[in-house]
Amino acid sequence: MNQIILSLGFGLVTASILAMGAVGFTLQFGVTNLFNLAYGETMTVAAFVTYYTHVDMGWNFWLAMTAGAVGGMLLSYVIGRFIYMPFLHRGTSQFAMVMVTVAMSIILKNVMQIFSGATFYSFALGPEKPVHVLGMDFTPRQLAIMGIAVACMLGLHLLFRYTRMGKAMRATSDDSSLARSVGIPTTRIVGLAWMASGLLAGLAGIALAMDLGTFDTNFGSSFLLIIVAAAVFGSVGEPYGAMVGALVIGIASELAAIISPDLKNVVAFGLLVIVLLVRPQGLRSGRVQMRMDVAG
Amino acid sequence: MSAAVISYLISLLVYLGVNSIAAWALNLQFGVGGVMNFAFILYQAMGAYITAVLTLPKSTVIGDQTYILGLSWPWPLPLLGAAVAGGLLSLAVGSFALRPRRRDFQATVMLVVSIIAETLVVTQPHWFNGNQGLYGIPQPFAARLALDPNGYGWFFVGLTSVSALLVLLIVFRLTNSPWGRRLRAMRENADAIESLGTNSRAESLKVYVVGGALAAISGGILVEFIGAWSPAAWGTGETFIVFVAIIVGGLGNTFGAFMGALLVLGVFLELPTYLPQFASANTEQSLQAASIGVLILIFLWLRPQGIFPERRRKLADQVPGSTGAGSQADTITLATTRHNFTTGADGDASDALTVRDLAKEFGGVRAVDGVSFSLPVGKITGLIGPNGAGKSTALKLIAGAEKPDAGQILLDGKDMAGWPSYKVARLGLIRTFQHTSEFGRLTVLENLLTAGPAQPGDSIGGALLGKRHARKRQQELLGQAWTLLEEFQLTSHADLYAGQLSGGQRRLVEIMRALMAAPRILLLDEPLAGVNPTLRLVIEDHLKRLRDEGLTMLMVEHELGAVERVCDSVIVMAQGKVLASGGMVELRKNEEVISAYLVG
Amino acid sequence: MPISSADVGSGAALEIRGLSAGYSDVPTIIDIDLRVGPGEVVTVVGPNGAGKSTLLKALLGILRPMAGTVHLGDRDLTALRSDQICRLSVGYVPQVRDIFPRLTVIENLEMGGYTLPRSKVKERLDEVMEMFPQIHRFANRQGGHLSGGERKMVAVARAMMIRPALLVLDEPTAGLAPRPADELLRDHIGSLSRLGVSLLMVEQRAREAMSISDRAYVMASGRVLFEDRADVLLARPDIGDVFLGRSSWESV
Repeated sequence: MNQIILSLGFGLVTASILAMGAVGFTLQFGVTNLFNLAYGETMTVAAFVTYYTHVDMGWNFWLAMTAGAVGGMLLSYVIGRFIYMPFLHRGTSQFAMVMVTVAMSIILKNVMQIFSGATFYSFALGPEKPVHVLGMDFTPRQLAIMGIAVACMLGLHLLFRYTRMGKAMRATSDDSSLARSVGIPTTRIVGLAWMASGLLAGLAGIALAMDLGTFDTNFGSSFLLIIVAAAVFGSVGEPYGAMVGALVIGIASELAAIISPDLKNVVAFGLLVIVLLVRPQGLRSGRVQMRMDVAG
Repeated sequence: MSAAVISYLISLLVYLGVNSIAAWALNLQFGVGGVMNFAFILYQAMGAYITAVLTLPKSTVIGDQTYILGLSWPWPLPLLGAAVAGGLLSLAVGSFALRPRRRDFQATVMLVVSIIAETLVVTQPHWFNGNQGLYGIPQPFAARLALDPNGYGWFFVGLTSVSALLVLLIVFRLTNSPWGRRLRAMRENADAIESLGTNSRAESLKVYVVGGALAAISGGILVEFIGAWSPAAWGTGETFIVFVAIIVGGLGNTFGAFMGALLVLGVFLELPTYLPQFASANTEQSLQAASIGVLILIFLWLRPQGIFPERRRKLADQVPGSTGAGSQADTITLATTRHNFTTGADGDASDALTVRDLAKEFGGVRAVDGVSFSLPVGKITGLIGPNGAGKSTALKLIAGAEKPDAGQILLDGKDMAGWPSYKVARLGLIRTFQHTSEFGRLTVLENLLTAGPAQPGDSIGGALLGKRHARKRQQELLGQAWTLLEEFQLTSHADLYAGQLSGGQRRLVEIMRALMAAPRILLLDEPLAGVNPTLRLVIEDHLKRLRDEGLTMLMVEHELGAVERVCDSVIVMAQGKVLASGGMVELRKNEEVISAYLVG
Repeated sequence: MPISSADVGSGAALEIRGLSAGYSDVPTIIDIDLRVGPGEVVTVVGPNGAGKSTLLKALLGILRPMAGTVHLGDRDLTALRSDQICRLSVGYVPQVRDIFPRLTVIENLEMGGYTLPRSKVKERLDEVMEMFPQIHRFANRQGGHLSGGERKMVAVARAMMIRPALLVLDEPTAGLAPRPADELLRDHIGSLSRLGVSLLMVEQRAREAMSISDRAYVMASGRVLFEDRADVLLARPDIGDVFLGRSSWESV
């Protein structure tokens, strides 16, 4: 029983990281319909920026984290606006776009390797005493991660529900040509979505590096498919779904780890496969459907 | 040349052979068949492992390899075993991975399978010795020949070439056969090829299995050359390299795939090793990889169709008597071969098809609400009604494109309601689509040929027998197709890609294609939409002639003048129900009908 | 400078002259003359394939016209694109994809007023809800969860947010059962003209639509066959022939 509660605790931490990552991924997909396989690299870049500003330049860690998140945001915007957009505007096929993102992922990963080599890095944050909460043990760092994740989700919720920009983003995601015809500047909105997505990816990457203790240039892409699993589970393109997906997959995989640590990923991937085969729309009820071209 | 250089050349040639086979295999699956196989490397790995297992002798030297069959099979048996294993694995994975309709979902499932497999093998020592892998695999005939290393090397190059040429022959024959043409059509428009009788899921699975078997052969040759195999050799990134090869070389082009393999090997993998070293080895490697990424991007931007784009197959000059000797073929006898219908006990012998109490609901709206009618044999029945009446939906239900919620569709005394469209098509019910669905990257003639039934080259076995086997029937079909093209004045467009034609012309191609399928009942969904008035009359004439030869037709049309000229009787639908039926003249005077059109 | 209904009195005059347009090199509509006076309700009817949708698309900048001109008041709209036209006080209710399914009704309306200065949005929202008081019942429901009739009402309300001088509707009753269709035409759309908005409507339900219209055009095979006052057209004895194909251009 203790094991289960402990794993539940780990699960919540993993879920927090996954939530930020998955919502960022799904945001991008919802607004641009792009399956961005270079997303993991944004996470890695943010972790490295945080490393350099904190360990090499001695910045306060929170400042360094902000720098990392901003780094992720800018990178995502630049790649989206100057590489993906031109290809998308041209009408590039779905498959070719996947190849474009894979190529981008290779470029980013290797450029980082040129600068940092293949070694493992660590934020070197020092040991911490765990805090006991509801039968689960968390280090203050893990609590911070969960706090940041909750803050992000809350912030997004407020953005989507209460700001004009957030609603415009949802409108663009729903139907971009209708959005254009009511005067929404869809290009600008898409740019903002990339920024938000990059910010979330950055935070997820930094949090993951904090949680794992060490990271290298591969760590973002190795986490990518689990993020995709969470996003698809919650219905790809739906931010609230991604949050639920993150919770389910985060907890499920940690619980599976009780049986064997290798099973962690297998569970996440297995869920992804099952969803794609059985219920590709994920958690979406399927009721929200336009009655188009129904009869005649 | 020094021995080291020769040795290097030998390994380059072997890798070229292996990569070509891999490229051809993936090109068959993706370039021709449109299946995005993101698990490709898995099948190559399977081939390598099985070849190793079948080749390794019983030996006490390699102590910690716990399960060796000790079969020591001679070449080429291990390769054949590998092919079988690769095929079986593809069958297993493909039967669920190909279930989703969306290609990117299929690809994601395959990618995940590939990763799970990699994880399993790395962590489980019982699976092909886990992370350690298999080693000490003896090279074929090496002991027997007792040559010096380079001498043997050339021998191995010879073996590889033989294998590669065999694979080339297989791939070539499959791609350039009626079966290959059907795959390409499926790649273009799966719904359309299903409406002509092809079970696209089955065909996708077939091409997946063949590709998997060939990929396995490439893995087998590789492991026989290297002598060892472990998960390090087959990361998911390797799949990407093969995709790059066929995209750069040219999707759908067999020669392109070879050139792509050559380019990837030479330019991407080997050339960078000749560049001057100016930093650490790791940095060099990263720089190379990043440059490859940049090159891919540039390539995708500048020449996405590849260096050697898929060839346009020109068939016009193969048409018998097409060089001006005005075809002697009299009126089209395409559709007349089978217009006899058997009816069930309670059926009317003069009815080809009967629909009873058909119903279909979409999101709470009853698009078709208890519709019953019959199609008399050898007559053209019109189906008209205002927008939203349910006409198109009714047609789609009959064609199997939608599943009815209730009701029966009786043909030959059997109830076809709920059958998938390819099964319905095989009974002789062929439909055209409301929105043109020609096969864009097939030529007009190829579009017509895909519909021709009973083509000997239209299966894997038949395709492998080569062009001569399929020639006779293809000539017949070409003759029929040409006659149709002459009727509709499209002979000059015969070898153009169907996607390049204007809207009205594409509609004609679709109608001609439907006729080539030798239908017993033709379901036309707004065949005249978007066609200019002169051609409309040509189509109308043609339909009347087909009717005179006994073809049964159902025509949904808005062009009511045409309906009056062409149809023998007309059914009016409104609000999902049948309102009235009869001749146009009486219907025009029918108050209810007028009201329906005004009220909508 | 955007034209508001205040500028041009009660609605603007839409003047289409000699308009030809199509999807490839062959025009689908040929030489169309059409006029909507200030505050008028004009309906375009005709069998399918007549070119009614093409007419609207050419008018709204979705399709580029091949010949002819389109004027709203004294503004030339002919060559403008769709996002430019919406800012010129032309409201558009498309036939499908007319609202954002995952946004609530209120959010849909807010998006309709995206181009308005932010301080005005609340005010307009209240005004529009006054025009369609039934919206109060489902104001917070998601667009995709509405019935056909409710959705159309929201779509029309959304288009009204910018207080357009001209409202263009593409088959507003498409896909609706007879009763909600009737309601939509009579109660909701018909009442708009009393607010001074000019209405141009393409409709399949010719009888209902014409009964709330001032004038009507009958199109077939890409041309205008008849133009007259709606009540006159409806009373014609040969109305059956008009709609059931006899009077296509082939026999004229």
